[in-house]
This record gives sequence, structure tokens and C-alpha cells, in this order.
Amino acid sequence: MWAYIFRKLIYNIPIYLGIILLMMAALRVNDPIWAYLGKYANQERYDAFAHQTGLDQPFVVQYASFLKDVFQLNFSTESWDKPGVEVGAILKRAIVPSLALTVPALVITSVISICIGLLASFYRGSKIDQGLVILAVLGMSISFLVYIIIGQYFGAYWLNQKMETELFAIAGYEPGLLNWPRYCLLPVLISVIVAMGYDTRFYRAVMVEECTRDYITTAQAKGASRKKIMFVHMLKNAMIPIITRIMITLPFLITGSILLEWYFNIPGMGRTLLTAINAKDCPIIQVFTAMFAALLICTNILTDILYAVVDPRVRLS
Amino acid sequence: MKRFLQSRGVRKFRRNKLAMAALSVISIYMGVTMAILGFDLFTLSETSERVGPNTTPGFFQLSSPEKRLQDCEFYIDLVDSAMNRSNPEAAIRESPLAELTIASMPMEEREEKLDETWALYEEIADTENVDERPDLLPEIEKLETMTAALYRQPEGLAGKVYQFRRCLGTDRQGRSIMVRAVYSIKVAILIGLVTSLISVIFGSILGASAAFFGGWVDHIVIWLYSTFSSIPNLVLLTVLVYMFTGSTFDGTLIPVYAAFCMTFWIGPCRLIRGEVLKIRELEYVQAATALGFNRFYILLKHILPNTAHLMFINFSLLFIGAIKSEVILSFLGLGVKKGPSWGIMINQAGQEVINGFFWQIGAATVFMFVLVLCFNILTDALQDAFDPKHV
Repeated sequence: MWAYIFRKLIYNIPIYLGIILLMMAALRVNDPIWAYLGKYANQERYDAFAHQTGLDQPFVVQYASFLKDVFQLNFSTESWDKPGVEVGAILKRAIVPSLALTVPALVITSVISICIGLLASFYRGSKIDQGLVILAVLGMSISFLVYIIIGQYFGAYWLNQKMETELFAIAGYEPGLLNWPRYCLLPVLISVIVAMGYDTRFYRAVMVEECTRDYITTAQAKGASRKKIMFVHMLKNAMIPIITRIMITLPFLITGSILLEWYFNIPGMGRTLLTAINAKDCPIIQVFTAMFAALLICTNILTDILYAVVDPRVRLS
Repeated sequence: MKRFLQSRGVRKFRRNKLAMAALSVISIYMGVTMAILGFDLFTLSETSERVGPNTTPGFFQLSSPEKRLQDCEFYIDLVDSAMNRSNPEAAIRESPLAELTIASMPMEEREEKLDETWALYEEIADTENVDERPDLLPEIEKLETMTAALYRQPEGLAGKVYQFRRCLGTDRQGRSIMVRAVYSIKVAILIGLVTSLISVIFGSILGASAAFFGGWVDHIVIWLYSTFSSIPNLVLLTVLVYMFTGSTFDGTLIPVYAAFCMTFWIGPCRLIRGEVLKIRELEYVQAATALGFNRFYILLKHILPNTAHLMFINFSLLFIGAIKSEVILSFLGLGVKKGPSWGIMINQAGQEVINGFFWQIGAATVFMFVLVLCFNILTDALQDAFDPKHV
């Protein structure tokens, strides 16, 4: 097991190096210093800034020093846009709000859509099933943005007017568990509704496939109750596609949370990254993309390990 | 080609009525795109042209009395300001609102009419709470007819065009929502078509050669797509678009094309690689190899055509992805920069929604919803017909 994880990590190193190379190169195609200083800066200022930030060194040197920073998790470079603030501090501040959005969204979405998928596959071919499938396709065809805007209007504005108390804040964020429902519940709900369309359809397809297997017939013949067949036999056997799916949706969840953070003014990683892109704040973009990529690679490795945990037929060798 | 059209998959696909309906709707969208591109159905300048007062509702619905009063003020004010120019005659001959022109009549008569209208307007505007005074409605209607008399309503074809422009209302800057939504079709279809075509072709060739040639080609391709796919899509898109800011391509669609192509090729590449790994062990490929055909010839002639169905499915899937991503990028201010797109419309509508005005967001959503829904149906039908084993 540990040997497997270790090997996986080694295998992912060239990929990670590639990501960093790609990102750093992409950020340097268009001179980041000119982009930050603007057209009217003079050459002296440019040179001074380049020297100060270390961007006058050859690319290889920059690449190596950034890699060193990443592997030591030492992000002490200063942000350009907010002088004096270390990127590491910004990163630390941004992680918790992001997690407050993505983790509940992932858990709620998965549980609900697996249940709906089971239900639809159980009643497959019936009116309920068809209705759910049509609903899922319709829901998939509407842009995420529309859900956000309409959800914010009805959830935070219209509802507050009707109930005459402030249930959800229109936007903003405050740390603390007690403040969570006020600021984060609405974005999480929106994200759940959006993801439902995609996930329900997929889980239904998986479960329908599973329904036709022999072991289900055997269990039925032995007189197992429907509930037991659904939640014990089928769910256990469908675990592999379910895990794959959850892991695949992780990056989408990240991107989704970028939009939610942007619109609901939640100072998470996505919002920080977008503000940095608008402000041409190169160090932040670099570190954040590196972190996002690291997160994704970790989930990939985790997926493989989970396969073995769930399904004894899968061997980690 | 003929054999392909008579194959079982194609026949099954053509029997699917829903898919055929979706296909015809998609061709209508394509037709509109062609009309905008080839025949200048709408030009870029027309999308930013003022056609009426701000935030008028669509389908010629009546707004609240207060708003109707404001609209009247807007129309009267336009005539008034034209009269106050240094050369009123010329100012009046210019049409201020697309097809709608100020009526031609002697100067004195117009002045007299204008004063009368202003007087009535002042009278109504002086009363408080216009919204809660139903007795004022006839007065407002009278004001509206008087205002209309100051203008020459367009007739015939021009009238129809003007009505078309106004039929979904206007946004906060008095621009036609209909024209903007229709023009955005062109943007969406162009982006979808270009990016999904390039990504499917590029991805398939890369994936097929990786699987077919194996060895170091395979290693490089796997490394490439693992690298690209290990960066969250939206992050990669934003960074790639950022790459182009300030360059000569800024403001065109080229940054968007480039960013989408660089992220979208992964899907088809992976899929085709897996499929070719299976195909290259099949007997007919071995037979072709035994017959001594060139390896490139086998790849192009025997293997790639047998993955065509996957390419179609992927093309359709990527089209949806491109349209949706374009909307999101434009919303974030990184995508389309010149002219309208559905993302920009939704972005601007965010402010209007707070004031309870849903026409712009509604129009953009419906236009996009229909197109994406059709592509979703099409993808499902393609999958059913050509790749029935897929979950």
C-alpha cells in the first residue's frame, strides 16, 4: 500500500513539473512586468522592478527557485498588488472560506444525487424515472450563472423581503461556524442544485446497469427486501463508478466555487485568484495555480487508493 | 461515405425523432450565424445602438405608470434636445432611435406641440405616488399618444424591423435585447464550432498516434494530457486568456479560441487513445500490416475512420462545453470583449435583476438554453446510436 502510494507520487512528479513549467511559461509569454506597471512606466522603473522581483534572471533559475518554494511550501514572496503581504499569508487566509463552500457542497450533492439515482433506477421506465431524467437534462442546459443570479435574487433578496428577516446575506463572508449558514448556505445550495442534474443522470445510468446483474436476481430469489437490495447490494457494487465520479467532479467543484466566490464575495482561493488575474499580480497567480494543481494530483492518487479500499478485487500493485 | 450513411448507427440515429428535431433547431442557429456573418443581418454597431428608453419590458407589455411617465419624458426630451441644437433642422432629420424618426412638420407647429406635451407631462409628474393613482391612467395614455405624434412611426419593412428590435425590450442603456441576443448566437456558434472542431481533430490525431505507435510517443502524449488535465479547467482557461491580454489579439476571439482548444483536446485524446488500443489488436489491422501497408496509411485509412463515432459524440459534447465556458469567461470579463455575448448579457443583467427586471437575463438564458438542450439531446442520441455500451 505505502509502496504503491510512493510509486504514484513519483509517477506524478514529472506531471507536476510540467504543470509548473506550463504555468510559468504562460505567465511570461506576455511580459508580466509591463502588464503590471502599465504602458507608461519607464525603462528604469521596469529594470528596478525586474531586479527586485527576480524576474530579470534567466527562466531556468526562476523555475528552479519557484520549484524549491513549492516543495518547501515556503511562499514568502511578496504580492505585487498588496506590497508587504506574503503570498503564503494570502493563501492561508483563502483556504478556509473555499473549504467552507466546497466540502459541504460535495457531500450534500453526492448523497442526494446517489439517492435520487437509486430511486430512478429502481422505478426505471416509469413516469417518475422519465420525469427525473427530463428534469436532469433541462437542469443541465441552463448556465451556472443564471442559477447564481436568480438564486441570489430569490434566496437572499426576495425571501428576505417576504419573511422580513435576513435569512441569507446577499454577499460577503465572516469566519466562524455560527456565521456559516448566513453566508455560505445559499451558495452551497445553488451549487448542489447545479450539480444535481449532471450527477443524478450519471448515477442513474450506473445503477440501471447494476440492476441487470445476476447477483440482484439472486438476491431477489433469496427473498431479500427491496430496500436491502438497493442500499446494500447495489450501492456497494456501484462504489467504483461513484468514487470515480466524485473525484472527477472535484475540479468542477473548484471551478464552480470560483464563480460562487466571485459572485457572493467570499474571499476564498478562487476569488483571490481572479482578483490577482485582474490586478496582474503574477506571484499570486503562480502560487495559486500550483496549489490547485497539487490538489488535483492528490485527489487522483486518493481515487486509486479508494478503489482498493472499496473493492477487494482491485489490488494496488 | 454512402456506406456510412446506410450503417446501422446512422439509421438508428435518424429514426430518433427528438434528435432530428434538435438537429433542425441547431441548423436554424447555424443559419442565423451564416446570415450574420455573410449577409450582415446585424452589425456590431447595431448591437450597441439605442432603440428606446431604458429597461422597457418585452412583448410590448405595459410597465408601471411611473415608468411609463419616465419613458414619455425620455421621448419628449429627445425631441426637445434636437430642437435646441444649433442646427435643429439637421438634428431632427437624423433618426435618434434606429428606425424611429422625429415627424417632419413646420418648426412652429412642432414647438407648439412640444410645449403642450411638456405641459401635460408636468401636470402628471407633479402628483405624488403615480403608481397608486388609477385615475391618472387615461391622462398617461393621452400623454403617450401626444408623444407618439411627435414621431413618425416607421411603417412597412422598417416598422417590422423596429418592432422586432423592441420585442424583447431594452436593457439599461436602451439597447435592443433581441438584437444583442441574436448577435450572441454568432459568437456562441463560432466559438463552439471552431474550438470543438480543432480540439477533436487535434486530440484524435494525438490520441490515435499515441496508441498506435506506442513507445515514447505514447509516453509523451500521456504526460501531456495528464499535465493539462491536472490543472482545473477554469484556472487554466483564465491563465491562458491572461496570457493574451495586452497583445494584438486582445479584443478578438482568438484568445478564447486558443484557450479553449488547449484545454478541450484532452477529452477526445484520452477516449480515442483507449479505443485505438483496442482496435489495433483487431484482425483487420493485423491483416493490413501483414499486407505491408505503410503505418501512417493504416492509421489514417483503417483506424481513424473506425473511431469516427467517438469523434462525433465528443464534438457535440465539446460544443456544449465551449458555449458554457464562453458564457462563464465573458461573465468574468475575460472572454468576449467587443460586442455582446450571452455571458456579457447575463453579467449586465445582474444589476437589473436586483431591480426586478428579468428580460435581459431571461432572453440570454432562453437563447442559450435552447441551443444547449438541443446539443444535449443530440449527444444522447449519438451515444445511443453509435456507442450503446457507454454509461
